[in-house]
Amino acid sequence: MTGTGGPDAPAIAVDGLWQVFGDGARPALSELLKPGAATTDGVARRLKEQGLIPAVQDASFTVKEGELFVIMGLSGSGKSTLIRCMSRLVEPTSGSVLMAGEDILAASKRRMIELRRDKLGMVFQHFGLFPHMSVVDNVAFPIKMKGVGLKERRARAMEVIELVGLGGREDAYPRELSGGQRQRVGIARSLAVNPDVWFLDEPFSALDPLIRRQLQDEFLNIQATLRKSIVFITHDIGEALKLADRIAIMRDGVIVQIGTPSEIVLNPVDDYVREFSRDIPKGRHMTLEALMEPVDVAPDRGGPELRTAMTLDDALSACALTFEPMAVRDGEGRVVGLLHPEALARAVGEAQST
Amino acid sequence: MSGLSPLTTALDSKGKQAAALVVFVGLLCLLAAPYAPWLVAWPSVLTVPMSEWISQGLGAFFDLIKPAMRWVSWVLGFGMAAANWLLVSTPWVVVIGMTTAVGWYLGGLKMAALGFFGLLFVLASGYWVESMNTLALVFVSVPLALLLGTAIGILAYEVARVKKAVEAVLDLMQTIPTFAYLTPLLLLFGFGPVVGLIASAIYAAPPMARNVLLGLERVESEIKEAAVMSGGTRAQQLFLVELPSAMTQIMVGVNQSLMAALSMVIIAAVIGGFNDIGWEVLLTMRKAQFGQSFLAGLVIVVFAIVIDRMSGALAQERRRYSTRVVWWIIVASLVAAVVLRDILPDAGTLSYFGGVADAVDQSVGDFTRVYGTTLDTVKNTAMFYVLLPLRIGLDDAVLPFTWGFQWTAAMSAWVYAIGVTLAAVLAWQGRLTLGLCLLLLIGVIETGVTQLPWIFVLVGVGALGWVSSGWRLSVLCVGLLGLILISGLWDRALLSLYLSGAAVFTCAVLGGALGLWAAVSRTAWAVIHPVCDMLQTIPLFVFLIPMLMFFQIGEFSAFLAIIAYAIVPMIRYTRHGLVTTPEDMIEAATSSGATNWQIMREVRAPYAAPTILLGLNQTILYAFAMLVIAALIGTTGLGQSIYIALGRADVGLGITAGAAMAILALVADRLVQGFAEERRKALGL
Ligand SMILES: Nc1ncnc2c1ncn2[C@@H]1O[C@H](COP(=O)(O)OP(=O)(O)OP(=O)(O)O)[C@@H](O)[C@H]1O
Ligand SMILES: [Mg+2]
Repeated sequence: MTGTGGPDAPAIAVDGLWQVFGDGARPALSELLKPGAATTDGVARRLKEQGLIPAVQDASFTVKEGELFVIMGLSGSGKSTLIRCMSRLVEPTSGSVLMAGEDILAASKRRMIELRRDKLGMVFQHFGLFPHMSVVDNVAFPIKMKGVGLKERRARAMEVIELVGLGGREDAYPRELSGGQRQRVGIARSLAVNPDVWFLDEPFSALDPLIRRQLQDEFLNIQATLRKSIVFITHDIGEALKLADRIAIMRDGVIVQIGTPSEIVLNPVDDYVREFSRDIPKGRHMTLEALMEPVDVAPDRGGPELRTAMTLDDALSACALTFEPMAVRDGEGRVVGLLHPEALARAVGEAQST
Repeated sequence: MSGLSPLTTALDSKGKQAAALVVFVGLLCLLAAPYAPWLVAWPSVLTVPMSEWISQGLGAFFDLIKPAMRWVSWVLGFGMAAANWLLVSTPWVVVIGMTTAVGWYLGGLKMAALGFFGLLFVLASGYWVESMNTLALVFVSVPLALLLGTAIGILAYEVARVKKAVEAVLDLMQTIPTFAYLTPLLLLFGFGPVVGLIASAIYAAPPMARNVLLGLERVESEIKEAAVMSGGTRAQQLFLVELPSAMTQIMVGVNQSLMAALSMVIIAAVIGGFNDIGWEVLLTMRKAQFGQSFLAGLVIVVFAIVIDRMSGALAQERRRYSTRVVWWIIVASLVAAVVLRDILPDAGTLSYFGGVADAVDQSVGDFTRVYGTTLDTVKNTAMFYVLLPLRIGLDDAVLPFTWGFQWTAAMSAWVYAIGVTLAAVLAWQGRLTLGLCLLLLIGVIETGVTQLPWIFVLVGVGALGWVSSGWRLSVLCVGLLGLILISGLWDRALLSLYLSGAAVFTCAVLGGALGLWAAVSRTAWAVIHPVCDMLQTIPLFVFLIPMLMFFQIGEFSAFLAIIAYAIVPMIRYTRHGLVTTPEDMIEAATSSGATNWQIMREVRAPYAAPTILLGLNQTILYAFAMLVIAALIGTTGLGQSIYIALGRADVGLGITAGAAMAILALVADRLVQGFAEERRKALGL
């Protein structure tokens, strides 16, 4: 586990969280979790024997202020259930969820409504737009819940609509929009109250690859300006690696590894995680730190300056700079061009990663 | 033990065991009947006077709440008078203008034309005032029904614990015959249109409740969660997000609710005391002025169609039409009403179709004079050769007067002997169940449905329940029927069973055939489809008119009316089941070299079986509903009891007979559902 929070409380701290579906789940689980009882695996097995579904098992992790935390796993591994526990859309069976130090599982109904009105935003896989409201009304809905007047909430809604690049479509209805546009509305709505914590449950999975990449880039731009604490769910390792500060990998309800993208790629804890990152071009995610031979002094031969955090691709291009450009000849041996080795390195790196 | 073992190997399936048991009991009854008359007729000493008990119990209770109810009645009467005054005193030009405008808004030119010409027809028929009276009842009762239904739907949705109970009550309310609602209300509220108003509000609430519940349940879970995450309170989630998202389904509820209310308001006219269009039909029918009642019936049909199509458009997600035109139409009609107020005739005085009514009378008269003998032959053939034997058995129905000879005991013996031989042949071919069922059928026709020993009926139904779904259903069905038996309404129940059974059987055969035809031929469906739509829009009452015109009062007219109404679901479901067979199954069959007909028999029909069974189920419920209405033209079953109870304000009889009717419907419903479920499971659906 990565337990290094700052002096302040982390944005989210999840500890020992269980979500078990089925009748009588709560007493069954608390019986099994008595001190000195079995391991997580043992408990889960016993629950399954009783016909219960342990969708999330003993999840513990923290999300730092301003961090983009990605939860990844195959379909049915319990990602949605986990995020729904954190937003308390379902009541966890056991465990705790702290947000900025506040135990939200102990919060009253009133307090929960307040939290959702001020601090939490959520984006859904299938958008969850209100079909009977126009774009601007959809986006303004959470602000309306706070009791803000019509003029003011429209103004705020227009701000976020511009932010997600939907200006001009504010009077359209969800059914008149494309998938990508609908998810922009979903994103705008979740940002309308300027939440501190932002949940996104596979926000781009229902979109086609081109739109997905475009939205990912815009999402990163938005995050660069807003710096929110984010829990982002995906089943796409590429997306996870591209976006995440840290990644948690889930399998069958259990978090099997938490780490930065390069840790996940370079040091997978088991075959399940390795399988995910198998097709991932290493050059893009691996940094020099993992490859270098650790010494204290090295001879200075001039040339490019290499840093531990550089990816292999970047380092390769940098090293290639030290070579002179070379002539390229045609079939008869006549010079027809000049190749810069650095361009060669870059092109090869890109060819691998697509 | 060793003697039993060949028997157990022969009866290796549930169906065979059940059929054998019933045949065995039937045989016992047949042999014992001459010595034990109590086998056929339930002894009156053992009859529990439920009707009286209910009358007394409810009477005391009603006395208690009457003052409050009278007050409700007064308030509602007030509302109704206001609606009535508004509709009747508004110049008809304006009413027509408003309807046209609403039609335009909902469905453009087509709907506007429907509203305009529909109401113009009503105006010209001379029934304007009566129609507005009816409409006033609908306008007051429907909002009540919608409120009540929405509240019930929301309650069932919000409180998970009561959902099952609410659904059961809604189911039950749909099986209770319409007339049965009226008697207790009559006692509570006294004679007058308020009874019809309240009855229709109660009757129209269940469809609304159902659709509200269904709509709310079908709202995407992400939409609900988005509302939660937006920080809405429960009330805000429900009213600002979930209900509006469910609006399409809720509008289906509004449409069904409107139609139910209209139907009930018209039926409630039998109470009398209010000059509405239903009363007009009834009155002219009683006076045998068929032309007039035909005209009034047409007015009802026109109303039903206008209301149905317009409210149906509400349930379609379509863009609405320009409100500018709407305002223009309304303003134009207002201007016309003011400018032309001296020229335009008074609505009540118009009657352009008096001549038509006379002409209808005339031509029907001519027709029956010319073809009277043919009509009589049709009727008598059906009565003598089909209905009567089914009702009282061959041994009583075959008389010199009907069949031209007298039935004798020897003939019975011959019939049974032939039956046994056939059954033996079938059994030898390995189709024992079919053989046994054939024997049972012969036994029933020999004896007559209404003279069947009660033990035989109970065992038979119990066996059916056991085969269709298991012990629990079996016990439930026998228990419920047992209630009818000890209440002393058994004879009447058998009469109802016989008539509706005959009608349902005819519907199944005829409707099945039409459905099959519609499934294979596009042209056939193009003709049958609108007819079905039409038949489903017409209020029950109106079906009686044409039957009366040609076949006079009696069981045969009732029989035809039931068929006309109840055949529609059979046609629809049969076709639907047959045409919705998955394409890949058909392709697989085609590539195996099956002909069209083989595909129909081997692939489509088995796949459609559960759907067709559901159609049959609907047909049965429709038949029971119509059976009660048909009591107006002379049937002698439970329907008649309910009708009599209404006339005498005998609330005990009204409720027991209504409950008996509901029990019959419920038992039939559960049995067929059981079989449909079993078929579905067998197909892995
Ligand atoms: N309300 C529920 N009742 C019972 N079981 C549930 C419920 N919700 C989820 N599950 C079960 O919990 C497990 C995890 O489901 P979850 O939806 O969290 O998976 P997921 O990782 O989000 O998958 P996907 O990528 O398909 O969205 C599944 O086995 C699912 O069947
Ligand atoms: Mg999910």
